[in-house]
Amino acid sequence: MGIRFILMVNKQGQTRLAQYYEYLTLEERRALEGEIVRKCLARTEQQCSFVEHRNYKIVYRRYASLFFLVGVDNEENELAILEFIHLLVETMDRHFGNVCELDIMFHLEKAHFMLEEMVMNGCIVETSKANILSPIQLMDKAS
Amino acid sequence: MEQLKTIGRELAMSSQGGFGQSKEFLDLIKSIGETRSKAEEDRIVLREIDTLKARLSSPNTPKFKLKEYLMRLIYVEMLGHDASFGYIHAVKMTHDESLSLKRTGYLAVTLFLNEDHDLIILIVNTIQKDLRSDNYLVVCAALNAVCRLINEETIPAVLPQVVELLGHQKEAVRKKAVMALHRFYQRAPGSVSHLISNFRKRLCDNDPGVMAATLCPLFDLITIDVNSYKDLAVSFVNILKQIAERRLPKSYDYHQMPAPFIQIKLLKILSLLGNGDKKSSEQMYTILGDIMRKCDADSNIGNAVLYECICCVSSIHPNPKLLESAADTISKFLKSDSHNLKYLGIDALGRLIRISPEIAEQHQLAVIDCLEDPDDTLKRKTFDLLYKMTKSSNVEVIVDRMIDYMISINDHHYRTEIASRCVELAEQFAPSNQWFIQTMNKVFEHAGDLVNTKVAHNLMRLIAEGFGEDDDTADSQLRSSAVESYLRIIGEPKLPSTFLQVICWVLGEYGTADGKYSASYITGKLCDVAEAHSTDDTVKAYAVTALLKIYSFEITAGRKVDTLPECQSLIEELLASNSTDLQQRAYELQAVICLDAHAVENIMPMDANCEDIEIDNNLSFLGAYVQESLEKGAQPYIPEDGRSELSNISNFRSQDHESSTHALRFEAYELPKSSVPPKVPSVLSSSAELVPIPQPSYVAEVHQPATSALKVSGSGSSELKLRLDGVQKKWGRPAFSSTTPSPSSSDNFGSNNGTTQHESISSTKLKVHDVSYDSRKQQPEVSSEKKKLAASLFGGASKSDRKQSYSGQKVSKTNSHAADKSNITEATSSSDIAAVKATSQPPPDLLDLGEPTVTSSAPSVDPFKQLEGLLDLTQDTTNLSSSEVSMPNAPDLMSIYADMSSSSQSTTVAPPPNVTKTHLAKQPSKGPNVQEFLEKDALVRQVGVTPSGQNPNLFKDLLG
Repeated sequence: MGIRFILMVNKQGQTRLAQYYEYLTLEERRALEGEIVRKCLARTEQQCSFVEHRNYKIVYRRYASLFFLVGVDNEENELAILEFIHLLVETMDRHFGNVCELDIMFHLEKAHFMLEEMVMNGCIVETSKANILSPIQLMDKAS
Repeated sequence: MEQLKTIGRELAMSSQGGFGQSKEFLDLIKSIGETRSKAEEDRIVLREIDTLKARLSSPNTPKFKLKEYLMRLIYVEMLGHDASFGYIHAVKMTHDESLSLKRTGYLAVTLFLNEDHDLIILIVNTIQKDLRSDNYLVVCAALNAVCRLINEETIPAVLPQVVELLGHQKEAVRKKAVMALHRFYQRAPGSVSHLISNFRKRLCDNDPGVMAATLCPLFDLITIDVNSYKDLAVSFVNILKQIAERRLPKSYDYHQMPAPFIQIKLLKILSLLGNGDKKSSEQMYTILGDIMRKCDADSNIGNAVLYECICCVSSIHPNPKLLESAADTISKFLKSDSHNLKYLGIDALGRLIRISPEIAEQHQLAVIDCLEDPDDTLKRKTFDLLYKMTKSSNVEVIVDRMIDYMISINDHHYRTEIASRCVELAEQFAPSNQWFIQTMNKVFEHAGDLVNTKVAHNLMRLIAEGFGEDDDTADSQLRSSAVESYLRIIGEPKLPSTFLQVICWVLGEYGTADGKYSASYITGKLCDVAEAHSTDDTVKAYAVTALLKIYSFEITAGRKVDTLPECQSLIEELLASNSTDLQQRAYELQAVICLDAHAVENIMPMDANCEDIEIDNNLSFLGAYVQESLEKGAQPYIPEDGRSELSNISNFRSQDHESSTHALRFEAYELPKSSVPPKVPSVLSSSAELVPIPQPSYVAEVHQPATSALKVSGSGSSELKLRLDGVQKKWGRPAFSSTTPSPSSSDNFGSNNGTTQHESISSTKLKVHDVSYDSRKQQPEVSSEKKKLAASLFGGASKSDRKQSYSGQKVSKTNSHAADKSNITEATSSSDIAAVKATSQPPPDLLDLGEPTVTSSAPSVDPFKQLEGLLDLTQDTTNLSSSEVSMPNAPDLMSIYADMSSSSQSTTVAPPPNVTKTHLAKQPSKGPNVQEFLEKDALVRQVGVTPSGQNPNLFKDLLG
């Protein structure tokens, strides 16, 4: 399993989206998020976009006020994950049009649906934006 | 400005409201978004929980409202509060007809529940129904849920339908069905073992999305069992080729790269398939070369693919051309300003040095920059690299650095890891016992509680056994220095328990051995330790046993024992201790002190902790006792495995016998089983007080030192011995001076001196080169400290190293013309050397001008390694083809690989002419050095002909 969790956290450290691909209890999640966010927020722009934490490797990327954090295990290609984050953002951008933190907050389920299309069992399964978005668009039309 | 934008967006949102979102929901989100503190956020969420509880319990909530409540529940959980009161509503919503509600329900359920939750059972039915739906979006939603919620027990309930869906007409469904099957495989491989072939089938799916998804399960399968999938290597290569040729739909492109994520997955699979498999690897060379050439090195994603290519190239059967471009890419990464690329570069370097260790040297300064970078991630990665390239010549620098770093960080997880790495490296490569002990002291001092206790026992054993040779003075010096260092450290506060145990044991065994310290001094220190760590029973036990030893040695030596008042009070305190172990030790101590010298000597022989103890497994010395008991009517002993049968068959008259249960009876015979060695009984009888204390507890216990010290049951020490044998062997590497070199190598030492002298002369010349190179890199000046570090990390002969790295880079940058030029300078300098070395037999011109290349790669190799290298070389001379380059400069460890590469080169891949040229051009640039002469010497001696492999043309002439 490559990807263990995906988090979106804002500058203040508030969670905006959390998706775990392995089961953690509420307390474990809260502790993990706190530790990771503290670690990542403390880093400068020039430093690596990768941080080791416990047995995870965190790949993170910042877009305006929002941090995207992906926890992976050791055998993952960090730079590819970094670009995967960007692909996710581009996909959301295409759907919402110039996506921002509030879009994700108001349409949390949509953001989750996109992730459901892109990542299954901790693996990247779909990288074509058209394929990712078409079920969501169909659903919008139907309702 | 940003504020304005946000406000505008909010307005747009609230006016939109058309997504079915109520004002209430928008307000909630807004208030959450506006919070400035965690406390404020918690307040909002708690209020929200109350609201939701009330709303959800009211019977007439409209459905569209329910969806919104569910999203609010998701928020509650996401922000760290328990929302279990609403789980059931999420489950209910999965039953809904509307797709959007259903999918939201499934989403909530997958976020809330783990696969073993009680509510899952309520969903399985719904999932089954939805898997049969006509609407493929419903099927997809259900398959998503299958991936998250189905556990081992429920797999059979959905498995047939999932398998059926593998052939669904919609590619999205097929893709998700593949992933569902993948999930089942992850959860319970046995449940789908008969369906594995489906993955192979889906690999050929018409839809690239399904094919890409299938790579995930195949990757897992191949990781576990490579051999069953070797046949797929061709298919994967073909797929990769098609992707590289942009045959996939445009929508898979990412930043002008064709389907990079699929490429990466394929490369991962290929590196598994090609690992150690020449035949499969050969199928991959072309496509790997193509991809590496085509990759856009300016984009992140291009570099990600390049990095994956390097990983693949360094995993599969080596191909010189690919290795070369991998090395080029690595140097690009390392020279980049981006920390991310540097990070990848360091990681890739760590992979590649396993195959071609010599490339590390040209990057030494970059590596050291990364090591000293304030960025922790980069630093750690660099430590990983150093760990991989540690050898006996640089272990001291590397381990010292690691320890310094370990002290500087707080991260418990990483401290543990780095501590165990330090220990591992120290045990493997330690140049001297002295150093080993000092290093271990440092590790123990700062991370003693994080390392395995075995490490402590290794250390004790090492101090006890010393070199394992006859060199007694060295051993006792070692011990004295250990004692001294421990006496220095012992007063420090907060020493880890494990370390204190080691200290106590060493002080007990050797504290008074060299006569430098008096018994009262040592015992005083030991009492201090016991007092300062009054809560740690293990440390106290070690301290008491150490006291016992010191006193015994005193008594044996015929000196009068004066128990210090604090010792006396310590013993008295322990006599009444709650711990039976401590009590026992205290009583033993008391008893031993009162005995006469002869008895004590038998109980506690001086420096006997390493002696083997013969164990009489048959307990023959108890034969008479058993016989006597039997005659008195005792039950005969029945072995443990025979007992159950007996009691099963008949109701074995156990009632009247005290050993009615297995456990009790077992114990009755266990006591004498404590393997008292034959020679001891006499002692025991002479010191009757000792006998009543049963030994078995020791045998089972962890306190090894006590065991070995008491000399009564030897199991402990024999256990220790087993553990350490490997270490001892590695340690056995003879020191340079202490061995007697063979005649031929002593010869070489002579010439060795000559060349080193020469090298130091020529090094002044080289400095100039260095500077010019550095200035070209726009790095004002590399501090001498850094250079020193580089030299110590990358090999002893630093000067020639740097020369290589310099000229190596130059060649790779400029064309062969420049190489020629450097060749000339080299040639002159090497002819100098030839002059110096004129004593040796072969004609100098043949030796040096022809091929000043050879093994400059591992300048730090010790003479014995060189000799080994010679052996290899002679064996391989026949293999060396005319284009052979890599073999001679493959250093020690890699000789196996080198063999393989040489044969591959000669038999299979004939590199295009220009490649050979660059190789050759590179060759001369490498400086001559000691090893080269050594090898030639030996060659001349053993082959009888003047050099072969290194001088292709000559070789041809001679044989051709």
